[in-house]
Amino acid sequence: MSMSKSSYSQYNRKNWEDSDFPILCETCLGNNPYMRMMKDKHGRECKICERPFTTFRWQPGKGARYKNTELCQTCAKVKNVCQTCMFDLEYGLPVQVRDHELQIADNIPKQGANRDFFLQNVERTLGQGDGTQPIAQIANNMDQAAHDRLRRMARSQPYYKRNAPHICSFFVKGECKRGEECPYRHEKPTDPDDPLSRQNIRDRYYGTNDPVAEKILNRAAAAPTLSPPADTTITTLYIGNLGPNGPQQVTEKDLNDFFYQYGDIRCLRVLTEKGCAFIEFTTREAAERAAERSFNKTFIKGRRLTIRWGEPQAKRAADNSNYVTPVPSVPILPIPDGLAPSTSSQQRFTGSIPRPPVPPTFSAPTRLVVPNVRPMKAGEPSSSSSSIYYPSQDPTRLGAKGDVIE
Amino acid sequence: MSIATKLRRVRKPPPEGWDLIEPTLEQFEAKMREAETEPHEGKRKTEINWPIFRIHHQRSRYIYDMYYKKAEISRDLYEFCLTAKFADAALIAKWKKQGYENLCCVKCVQTRDSNFERVIECVHCGCHGCSG
Repeated sequence: MSMSKSSYSQYNRKNWEDSDFPILCETCLGNNPYMRMMKDKHGRECKICERPFTTFRWQPGKGARYKNTELCQTCAKVKNVCQTCMFDLEYGLPVQVRDHELQIADNIPKQGANRDFFLQNVERTLGQGDGTQPIAQIANNMDQAAHDRLRRMARSQPYYKRNAPHICSFFVKGECKRGEECPYRHEKPTDPDDPLSRQNIRDRYYGTNDPVAEKILNRAAAAPTLSPPADTTITTLYIGNLGPNGPQQVTEKDLNDFFYQYGDIRCLRVLTEKGCAFIEFTTREAAERAAERSFNKTFIKGRRLTIRWGEPQAKRAADNSNYVTPVPSVPILPIPDGLAPSTSSQQRFTGSIPRPPVPPTFSAPTRLVVPNVRPMKAGEPSSSSSSIYYPSQDPTRLGAKGDVIE
Repeated sequence: MSIATKLRRVRKPPPEGWDLIEPTLEQFEAKMREAETEPHEGKRKTEINWPIFRIHHQRSRYIYDMYYKKAEISRDLYEFCLTAKFADAALIAKWKKQGYENLCCVKCVQTRDSNFERVIECVHCGCHGCSG
């Protein structure tokens, strides 16, 4: 324990922190609504400011390691972070990421009398207000675009893997004699060369040199936008993550109401079984606008929609060999709802109208027998009895040939 | 600490009956010395202390039994052993209480403020529960 000469610890004991609940994020609290937490008044020194504070210790769910608060409430409030994991309270992101996006560069003093003085002022400000107002530079920022970007980088669910117990060091050597009752993890330890293993509390708190933050920022820079496909006739978008079938699923009306702002919708088909939808715009510009504005930031009914470009029609049809492709010379009847194939990149109308005849592409149908009687004519919409699909359609054949086992 | 050192501290010669118990006490000394010098490989940090507590308990138990149960040593000798710290007076005091006759170590009774729910294995002495 470092006791700097100008440390705040020896003096001012009356003003030592005494709180009755820690400032924690959802992940650190754990998934168990029934929790027992131990409070130790002046249990430890804060890892950043080295002043005594009230420590709390609890188990965040079954099988988790016991966590305790590492920072004092003042330090946590200055940076608006959780007292244990030091991620931002609103986004769950490292301090460096949040500060980078919101362009906060507050240069908090890190040592000595400077630090103690700064914290003293902070405490006074907090004491004058009700203790919930943001202080330092966090208060200044209302940049919506940055907020959106941070939302996108953030997790949507709490990440309980962080609460797992540490790796059993005896197990690593092969010597763990506790076996089943060993509370530590029996797994391979992480690679020591990995930069993520070299983390340090002060770096993470002040937002400098944080490998996790750098990883997140790099990932965000790498794939943020959806590039339009080269084929400029495509105006179809694929929309995913509508949710499982049922009343909670995002409906056609929801999608319609959302996407009409980008332009006229030519057609919109929702596949309830697969939880996805295809939307086609009348103009390419509208489609591009929609893609750009909604990619990775559209939340309907609490779900983030996956937006991708729809695939070109011809390619889709060739991939369709699982399902029934219309056979010429066979009368086309409306397919009962349960049997309709779910590929709708092809231009279909919603509802149970019979499908318009699609020009068959016979480049490589996998399950179909390719008749070698006559070369196929592609692009012949009207099915005539002269184009042969099956060998048995050939009027010159007599009976079954070659497929009867004698 | 060897027997001789302990005796020197008390500053008076051991009362009669000392020869009865001295060999056993020497054996306990030897065991304790062994436990103290064992290497710590393969053991958890808390596990290292367990043999110490165990032997301490056994030694105190021996003297307690000799006086209270079997009455083979005189009161003088018993008190001599306590002052020479061959037995733990605090522990023996607990043994005289109903329900605590087999208490493992004084520490286990004292930690009422810590969070032990089901004690599978006490951290201090490694016992699996000492009540009958």
